Amino acid sequence: MIETIENGLQLALTVVCITVAISKAYFSRSRTWAILAFFSGIWFLGDLYWVLFLVFFGDTPDPSYITDLSWFAAYLFLLLLMNSVETEKKKMSKVLLLVPLFTIGMGVYYMQWGQYLTNIIDILLMSMLIAHSIHGLMKLTERKNRKNRMLYGTVLYFCIMEYGAWTASCIFEGDTLANPYIWFDIGLSLAFVLLIVAVGKAVDNELY
Amino acid sequence: MNYIENVFICLAIPLFISIIFTRSTVRLVLTFMLSGMVVCLLSSYISTFLSGSLEIDSFTASLTLVPIVEELMKMVPLVLFILLFEPDVEMLPCSVLMIAVGFATFENACYLAQNGAESFQHLLIRGFGTGAMHVVCGALVAIGLMLLWDKLWLRMAGALGLLVVATTFHGVYNILVSQKSSTAIIGYVIPMVTSVIVLIAERKLEKNSNLRQD
Repeated sequence: MIETIENGLQLALTVVCITVAISKAYFSRSRTWAILAFFSGIWFLGDLYWVLFLVFFGDTPDPSYITDLSWFAAYLFLLLLMNSVETEKKKMSKVLLLVPLFTIGMGVYYMQWGQYLTNIIDILLMSMLIAHSIHGLMKLTERKNRKNRMLYGTVLYFCIMEYGAWTASCIFEGDTLANPYIWFDIGLSLAFVLLIVAVGKAVDNELY
Repeated sequence: MNYIENVFICLAIPLFISIIFTRSTVRLVLTFMLSGMVVCLLSSYISTFLSGSLEIDSFTASLTLVPIVEELMKMVPLVLFILLFEPDVEMLPCSVLMIAVGFATFENACYLAQNGAESFQHLLIRGFGTGAMHVVCGALVAIGLMLLWDKLWLRMAGALGLLVVATTFHGVYNILVSQKSSTAIIGYVIPMVTSVIVLIAERKLEKNSNLRQD
């Protein structure tokens, strides 16, 4: 029951994100908003497919290729989002080599439950997302212009919530508020609202 | 037993003959329609092979596997067209839509051959629903390609992402229409409503096709 409510909340927040992003993309003619619309749109469709499967068949989709693909595509659009606000390319710090260590370690742990291929793709995409967002945050401390900071911070927050939810789902069971998975997933849902604010700031930053 | 090859021959040969006797834009449109039918036939073979290999029944395959195969296959003629002929961006929406139309036509013809043509009401709803669904999926890719066209990385990643958008939309549609009564009708209506929204969006975008460069 709690998980269904939480899924409903996530669907509702993604709809808000899609609506705001599409209207902003239309009126401001900004590609960044269009990419946010695609990101939230594909996430919404993946979630909807998952929820419909649960409602009609009482189980999660097996094989879950469609939902996996939709989440991979969402990560891809998130990467494109960060790329689209980037004004100058700068060499990545060597510290960021630690990111794959974390993602590979976690991926190997998740392989006990999930498929090898999907976990490998997750490792690749998450490594890029985390490395890119940390790189963005590190780079911004050196510059006057810091309005993109919130976008990089939100993407990093999104990744942390994802890893939290994945790890919690491996350890804890049960459809109650005592399950940390529910809280991490609520945190993930809030990322969609934060992204609206963050992209707004980043686009303003480009205009003025 | 459903002899889809026979249905294919009946539909494809007139199109093939007309392709020989026509020129320029009409030929291109007919070629894309025919290619839509070819990829529909190939999708059916691939889906059957994969569901056999993965040991899943045809109903589960229609919900979890078929949308991926069909949307992926619909991209094949488009990708070949882009790689071989390097067309103008303006030609892409029409080509994507004609592939989708060919695909939906052949799929509906196979459905008729398998299930008969007695129920006018159901076929009317299904015709609009399935036709609109394939056209919407095609239009999603087309609009996205127009919006995200100028840079190579956007073109590649955007096309991949949009393919997944179309796949998931198709998957949601298949789940809804696999249910009974009102849920199935909602499933059939969603692509129709979406196609109206896409049509309005396309008209608006035609006026100002290029988004501001971020």
